[in-house]
Amino acid sequence: MSDALLEVRNVTKHFPITRGIIFQKQVAAVQAVDGVSLSVKKGETLGIVGESGCGKSTLARVIMRLLEPTSGEIIFDGHDISRLSQSQMRPFRREMMMIFQDPYASLNSRKRVGFIVAEALTVHKMGTDAEIKRRVQELLEVVGLNPEHYNRFPHEFSGGQRQRIGIARALAVNPKLIVADEPVSALDVSVQAQILNLLKDLQSEFGLTYVFIAHDLHVVRHISDRVAVMYLGKLAELADASVLYDSPKHPYTGALLSAVPLANPQLGRQRHAITLEGDVPNPINPPSGCRFHPRCPRAQAGRCDVEVPEVVPVDPSHSVACHFPLERWPMTPEQIATPERVGVGSAG
Amino acid sequence: MTIAPHASTASSAASSDAPLLDVRDLRTYFKTEDGIVKAVDGVSFSVEAGKTLGVVGESGCGKSVTMLSILGLNTKAAWLDTTGSDDPGREMEAFLRGTKKHLSVSTGHASMRGEDLFQMTSHRLRDVRGSEIAMIFQDPMTSLNPVLSVGDQLSEAVLLHRNVSKNEARDRAIAGLIEVGIPRAENRIDDYPHQFSGGMRQRVMIAMALINEPDILVADEPTTALDVTTQAQILRLIKELQEKRGTAVVMITHDLGVVAEVADDVVVMYAARIAEAAEVHELFGRPLHPYTWGLLGSLPRVDLEVERLTQIGGQPPSLLNPPRGCRFNPRCAWALDRCHVELPRETANEFNPSHLDACLLTEEQKLAESARITEMLGTRGNVS
Repeated sequence: MSDALLEVRNVTKHFPITRGIIFQKQVAAVQAVDGVSLSVKKGETLGIVGESGCGKSTLARVIMRLLEPTSGEIIFDGHDISRLSQSQMRPFRREMMMIFQDPYASLNSRKRVGFIVAEALTVHKMGTDAEIKRRVQELLEVVGLNPEHYNRFPHEFSGGQRQRIGIARALAVNPKLIVADEPVSALDVSVQAQILNLLKDLQSEFGLTYVFIAHDLHVVRHISDRVAVMYLGKLAELADASVLYDSPKHPYTGALLSAVPLANPQLGRQRHAITLEGDVPNPINPPSGCRFHPRCPRAQAGRCDVEVPEVVPVDPSHSVACHFPLERWPMTPEQIATPERVGVGSAG
Repeated sequence: MTIAPHASTASSAASSDAPLLDVRDLRTYFKTEDGIVKAVDGVSFSVEAGKTLGVVGESGCGKSVTMLSILGLNTKAAWLDTTGSDDPGREMEAFLRGTKKHLSVSTGHASMRGEDLFQMTSHRLRDVRGSEIAMIFQDPMTSLNPVLSVGDQLSEAVLLHRNVSKNEARDRAIAGLIEVGIPRAENRIDDYPHQFSGGMRQRVMIAMALINEPDILVADEPTTALDVTTQAQILRLIKELQEKRGTAVVMITHDLGVVAEVADDVVVMYAARIAEAAEVHELFGRPLHPYTWGLLGSLPRVDLEVERLTQIGGQPPSLLNPPRGCRFNPRCAWALDRCHVELPRETANEFNPSHLDACLLTEEQKLAESARITEMLGTRGNVS
């Protein structure tokens, strides 16, 4: 894929759990991300959605090289960046920027807005002081803030305005890729809409590529061109946004879509809810076979609990990791529970 | 739900046809370092037995404080009788400025089955709380005591309100945990809160709230901290228990989706006041207040492809110094001249007297815009 800006190949991130004080030995590992492959095309938005603990934020940090991958490759703009040293990473740092969830914690409360937004420019020595100041004021204007607020501190701004500062900071060095980790989940609906619209406008204006991580299925559908669903460190399903939401193939995606509250009582109340029982299992000791099988309404003993499903394409723009993908959508809970053709799946 | 137009008289004596919970012209102000925060400023609604009332609004709109005031849970709270006063707000401000003892003051009326909650002795109010009205909160980890086992905490709730032995209380606690779907309840009863997952903790909270079979369950953002599949489990559980016991539920939430799923009636709050109140299908099928339009339009939707969200400009106002006239006027695209001076009251509509809105636009204007928006959002079919 030549038009891919970012390619993630079989990336795994395990956090070791050690015991002992002086002679530490690894006794287990949290398998936060386990063999995820995906690619992001230039100018598109890839949404990554999943419940807490599914590894979506870890994946974002591995992509940004804020965490070292345990194995796998990250190809950014044709270069494998997964093994680069910190100094070798430097030129790439200004190509990829991040926006964080909590606009209260992600801005240094002791620094002025002008400094915060300019920091990346200063670090990468992009211009004289006067040029940087002009650039920062321009950026503040771009994200809808008053450029005269250059000298204010973060606490003088509301949550939505702070998130705009975070966006201005990410844009400062003209990055190609922006990884946004839950950028709107701390905001109220009316402010959230302002930020989502801003992100869309900036994308079309500057040709940005986004990796947009969120747990909110509504937000992800709205902003994304393609959507990846993760469950317990694995990729469950990946497809164009409208395809994924209109005809999900993975039972987990189906369950998510049937559980998300709809702001339309007529529609919401006639849905067939597929309620999953229990909680997401512990990633230290994930279930055998398909990681979703203990909660899956259509799990088949002898197959799903033994064989790990590969991510296989069901059509060119739609891949799913399931032995028994959903035949159609919507489905009743009874239809979900009885796969029609036993034997469809990775083994083929 | 029946929400009588504003300024109705307070219900006096207990009567059989009185609503389960009736709140009239409730105001709550807080004294802070920055000045007086008018957190609730003239709110009236009622809750019917067995029904679910959704209270929806953005952070800081006063939805939680409304319920906390009714239950007497604000710190250093006082109640002021302002019956007959033409400006209760000014009296409350004067009261707060003149007192060192109190940090908050409420006025208005709140009655449960005709019994005035503000006139109760503190002893009687303690009885009501936990036994007749119970509350669950957003974050179950901070509302459970981390150093007591869940069994102790559940038993305590029973022992406080019922005249039973410790063993009986423990049996009830186990039965409560079974009822909310905690597996192996007999073994888990001696576990501590940190040994439960987020969803399980919220189940424990629900068990604790319902253990004395209250008539009203106030759920303040009960699923906000939970994942979507867990949220669905908890909402379904509340619904099941409600149907089984006929409990009324007040669901406080910022999520219009949750309201659409579970509520029978909805109150939309904005800046300490009610913007709109209606039956749930009516509200989504024929919203009449510009703020409700804005909320619905700014919501990204899984069931709908929207190119661009219609956003509400600006920020919610500060309650230290709310805007003059309609509180929403600085952000409202339809604001008329009189919206900047006149404070609108909730008024019933001719075509549906149970649908109230506090907006000064004409009914034709509201219906036309409402039709346009519901057409766009596909919610029009909710009203015939």
